[in-house]
Amino acid sequence: MAILKFENVSKVYDNTTKALNDISFSLEEGEFVSIIGPSGAGKSTILRCCNRLIDITEGKIWFDGKDVTAMNKKELRAVRTKTGMIFQHYNLVERLSVMENVLHGKLGQKSTLAGMAGIYSEEEKLEAFNILRGLDLADQTYKRCDELSGGQKQRVGIARAIMQQPKLILCDEPIASLDPKSSKVIMDHLSNINKRDNITCLVNLHQVDVAMKYSKRIIGVTGGRIVFDGPPEKLDIKTVHKIYQSNDSDLITDVKVGA
Amino acid sequence: MDMAIQLTGIEKSRNGKIRVRAKSKSNTAIKLLIFVLLAISVIALLTFDYKDIDLGKAIADTFANIKTVFLAPKLSRGTLADILYQLLVTFCLGALSTVFGMILAFFCSLLCAQNIADKRIANVVKSIVAFVRAVPTVLWVLIFAISAGLGSVAAVLGLTFHSFAYLTKVYAEAIEEIDSGTIEALRASGAGFWQIITQAILPSSLSYMVAWTFMRFEINFTNAVAMGAAAGAGGIGFNLFMAGSFYFDLREMGALTYIVVIAVVLLEMLSTKIKSKAK
Ligand SMILES: Nc1ncnc2c1ncn2[C@@H]1O[C@H](COP(=O)(O)OP(=O)(O)OP(=O)(O)O)[C@@H](O)[C@H]1O
Ligand SMILES: [Mg+2]
Repeated sequence: MAILKFENVSKVYDNTTKALNDISFSLEEGEFVSIIGPSGAGKSTILRCCNRLIDITEGKIWFDGKDVTAMNKKELRAVRTKTGMIFQHYNLVERLSVMENVLHGKLGQKSTLAGMAGIYSEEEKLEAFNILRGLDLADQTYKRCDELSGGQKQRVGIARAIMQQPKLILCDEPIASLDPKSSKVIMDHLSNINKRDNITCLVNLHQVDVAMKYSKRIIGVTGGRIVFDGPPEKLDIKTVHKIYQSNDSDLITDVKVGA
Repeated sequence: MDMAIQLTGIEKSRNGKIRVRAKSKSNTAIKLLIFVLLAISVIALLTFDYKDIDLGKAIADTFANIKTVFLAPKLSRGTLADILYQLLVTFCLGALSTVFGMILAFFCSLLCAQNIADKRIANVVKSIVAFVRAVPTVLWVLIFAISAGLGSVAAVLGLTFHSFAYLTKVYAEAIEEIDSGTIEALRASGAGFWQIITQAILPSSLSYMVAWTFMRFEINFTNAVAMGAAAGAGGIGFNLFMAGSFYFDLREMGALTYIVVIAVVLLEMLSTKIKSKAK
C-alpha cells in the first residue's frame, strides 16, 4: 500500500501565487525518492503539504491510507508524529543540548505537561544516546547545539527525526548548506536509515548528480507541475533542461546523464 | 579618468558626491520632527508666565540649595534603620509591580508575537498594548487612584499596568527574533503549542527576557520613589517629599538622595551581572 499519495493537489498562496498545479504521485513504503527542480518550483511546498504544515487548496493527500486533508487535530498530530522532517537550516533549538534536541523528537508522543516540563524516561534517554552513537555524535551529547558545525547539526536533525520512529522522513534540501564531504556523510546516513529501518524518504535536492546517485526514483518539478517521474536511468539531459528550463551549457551541474 | 562611462543607475547626493545611503523618508521626517520640537520650545519659553522672577537671584538661590543638598547631607529625622526600612518598602513596590507586569506580559506576548500568534489577534493586542504604553506611568497611577484612592495600591496598579505594556512589547520582540524554522520543526514533529513554548521559545529567549525584566525593575524602582512623593505610596519617596516640602530640611533631603543613588547603583551593578551570566 502506498504510504503517501497526492491526488490532483493544487496550492495557491494568498489567492495569487499558484505554487502547485495538479500534482499527483504516490510513494510506496521503503522508497527513496528525490524531488528536483529550480528555485520556486514548489518543492518545499510539496513537503509541507504532506503533514499539513500548510493547507492545500484543492485535491487530496493520503498518508498511510487516511485522508490528511480531512483530519481533525488529534489525527493530524498522529500523522506528524509518524513523519520526521529535516531542514536545510537544521532548525534546532540552538541553546539546548544535543541530547535535549534529539529528545524533542518524542514530544509528539507525550502528554502536554510531560512535554512542557521536558520529562523523559530513562529508556527514551538511552534510545536517544544510541541514535547519537549511530551518527557518530556520542562525544557531542552534552554540547549546546550552537557549538556544533553545520554537518554535526544536520546529524542532530536526523537523530531528532529518527527519535520519532517515523514511517516517512521528509528532507528539505538537507545538504544545501554543507560542504561536499559532510554532504556525503548526511546522504549516506539517510540512505542507511532508509535501507536499515525501511523508512520511506522524500528528499528535495538541488544537486542532480546526488539525486541520481542515491535515489531509485526522481520526481522533476517545474512551475508547480511534475514534468518527470521515473528512475535515474531514464533522466536524460533533455529532461534535465526541461526541468530547469535551461539551454545547453546553462547549468553548473556536472551531471553525466544519458544522452 | 573614464569614470563617467556606464554609470546609469548610480545616483548623486545633493553635494554632488556619489550616494551610498538607502533611500528613505525617515531623514526628512527626523528633520521635520526636530524643527517642530525646537519651534515648540521657543514658543513655550516666550509665552511662559515668569511672574517677575529675578532670574539672576533665582539661579543663585537654586545653586545654593543644591549645594546644601549635596555637600552637607545629614540625617536628623529618623534613624538609618528607619530609612533603610522605607527603602525596602519602595523596593517592594517596584518588585511587586515588576512581577505582576512580567506574568501578565508573558502570556500577552504569546498572543502578539507574529511568528506564533494569529495575525489578526496579534494586531489587535499590539494596538491595545501600544496605547497602554503611550499613557505615562504617572497618569495610570492617577487613573487608578480614582477608584483605589491615592496610595500604594494605586501606585502598584499603575506601575504594573505600564510595566505590563512595556514588557509585552519587549517579550514579543524577543519571541519574534526566534527563527520560525525552529518552531516549524517542532510543529512538524507533532509537538503542541505549550510544548513549543517551554521547549523552544523559553530556552531561546529567556536570557533576553530576564535582562529586560531587570531593566524594567530599575525603572519601576525609580518610579516607585517618585510615586512615594507624588501619590503618597509611602517608602523613601514619601520621606523625601516630607523633608523637602514639609520640613524644608535640605540636608536631610541630601542624605536621602544619596541613599537612593547608592541603591540604584547597586541595582545597576546587579543587573549587569545578571545580563552577563544569562548568555
Ligand atoms: N508562505 C508563502 N507565502 C506566499 N508564497 C509562497 C510561500 N511559500 C512559498 N511561496 C511561493 O510558492 C512558490 C513555490 O515555493 P517553494 O518554496 O515551494 O519553492 P522551492 O521549489 O522550494 O524553491 P527553493 O528551491 O528556492 O527552495 C514560489 O513562487 C514562492 O514564492
Ligand atoms: Mg525550498
